[in-house]
Amino acid sequence: MLGEGLVPTPWQTLRAAYAMWADGTMTTDLQASLARAGQGFAAGASTGIALGFVTGHRPRVAALVGPVMSFLRPIPAIALVPLVTAWFGIGERAKHLVIAYAVFLAVWLYVHDGVARVPADHLRAARTLGVPAWRRLIEVLLPAAALSVVAALRYGASLAFLALVAAELGGAQSGIAYRLQIDGQFLRTDHMFVGLIELRLLGLLADALISAAGRRLVHWSSS
Amino acid sequence: MSTLVQLDGIEVDHDGKRAVATTDLEFPEGSFTSLLGPTGCGKSTLLNTIAGFVTPSSGRVLMDGAPVTGPGPDRGMVFQHYALLPWFTARGNVEFALKRFGLPRAERRERALESLDAVGLADAAEKYPTQLSGGMRQRVALARALAAEPRVLLMDEPFGALDAITRARMQRLLTQLWQRTCTTVVFVTHDVAEALALSQRVVVMAADPGRVIADHRLADDPASDRTAPHPLHARIVAQLGTDS
Ligand SMILES: Nc1ncnc2c1ncn2[C@@H]1O[C@H](COP(=O)(O)OP(=O)(O)OP(=O)(O)O)[C@@H](O)[C@H]1O
Ligand SMILES: [Mg+2]
Repeated sequence: MLGEGLVPTPWQTLRAAYAMWADGTMTTDLQASLARAGQGFAAGASTGIALGFVTGHRPRVAALVGPVMSFLRPIPAIALVPLVTAWFGIGERAKHLVIAYAVFLAVWLYVHDGVARVPADHLRAARTLGVPAWRRLIEVLLPAAALSVVAALRYGASLAFLALVAAELGGAQSGIAYRLQIDGQFLRTDHMFVGLIELRLLGLLADALISAAGRRLVHWSSS
Repeated sequence: MSTLVQLDGIEVDHDGKRAVATTDLEFPEGSFTSLLGPTGCGKSTLLNTIAGFVTPSSGRVLMDGAPVTGPGPDRGMVFQHYALLPWFTARGNVEFALKRFGLPRAERRERALESLDAVGLADAAEKYPTQLSGGMRQRVALARALAAEPRVLLMDEPFGALDAITRARMQRLLTQLWQRTCTTVVFVTHDVAEALALSQRVVVMAADPGRVIADHRLADDPASDRTAPHPLHARIVAQLGTDS
């Protein structure tokens, strides 16, 4: 059985949230975590998308890159935390790297798959119409793979928060997961619940934003 | 008429297997030729070789005397499954082909609408492909291919996915467009009646390995509605053996 006071009531949680907001820790932690997740996500997603387009479109490059990715994919981002910390210390760079790594692998896989599935006839039609390569990329490949890119970003965002937690638990001075760990040492489960809810809400928000942007961009597939 | 496309002793292999054995064919400028044959006889392979998607393992494809090295807008293509871009409207798909001419926006739009009008789709210009029937989609694809002003139009079973009535309509439309634009057409089908109804010439192919086994020049006026079966019909069916 759980000890008394270890499961906070909603009221206690709300009060803790107010206290954390009032003393400024909530803002500091949110800012720190969002900056890390955002930067790691941006780096991992952009490289994942770029490489996904290259390997999806060029089977020869895929044959070279694919095995490397298959080798890396089973290594969880969490397992990299000690290594990255040994290399880069507990600074921000290490955290961005861990998050970017997790996001990159997932985003690459989804985008690569989506681009590889772009109907060959679409690209062939474009070539027989004298459409140059840069227009084939923008007007054929990008829209054809857009749904996959949206799915990749949604999945990537959820992984960014997972990796964020791993990175902050590995050593940080601020952040939602850092605070969770500190509060855990003092058995402040009311504060811990606030942290968990923050993470959940951030995840939901990121997902909602990406899906909404996706629905606006990929308007033709719903009709 | 001068030769526009020439297959000069081409042989095509797929994964080390011979798909088309040594073939020499010439397509005169402005002509309408059907490639007819059973499945797997290399019709698409020949068409894709002319288009420049497939490189022959020996021999050359000559376009106006110059060797073909890859796809280009002088050789347009109409695909069986339309290959329209779903994120563009009918007009957008035609404009996609027109952009290479670098016209001002308004003029490009105007020309796209004219092209759609020519295939009887003036009213559907702002519709997306998913909102169009199969026949309408193929009309857009035809308008798009012709908008790029190719010298040869390569068509790979373009009406194969359509019902009989739509198909007959599309055949009439194609004949009209061909007569109006004087574009050279190479038309792949495995329907003997379709080949005879449309073409000036029917090239019959056989499989294993893919090769040309007969080359029929038809009497002029291919567009006339024939009520009786074409006199060549039975002969070609016999040449195709049991496959047709
Ligand atoms: N991309 C490819 N890779 C390997 N083999 C192929 C490829 N495309 C065609 N082939 C083979 O080449 C031969 C000719 O095929 P092709 O598609 O040209 O025939 P076809 O006459 O167009 O047939 P269909 O009427 O079914 O469309 C077949 O044996 C086919 O299996
Ligand atoms: Mg074929």
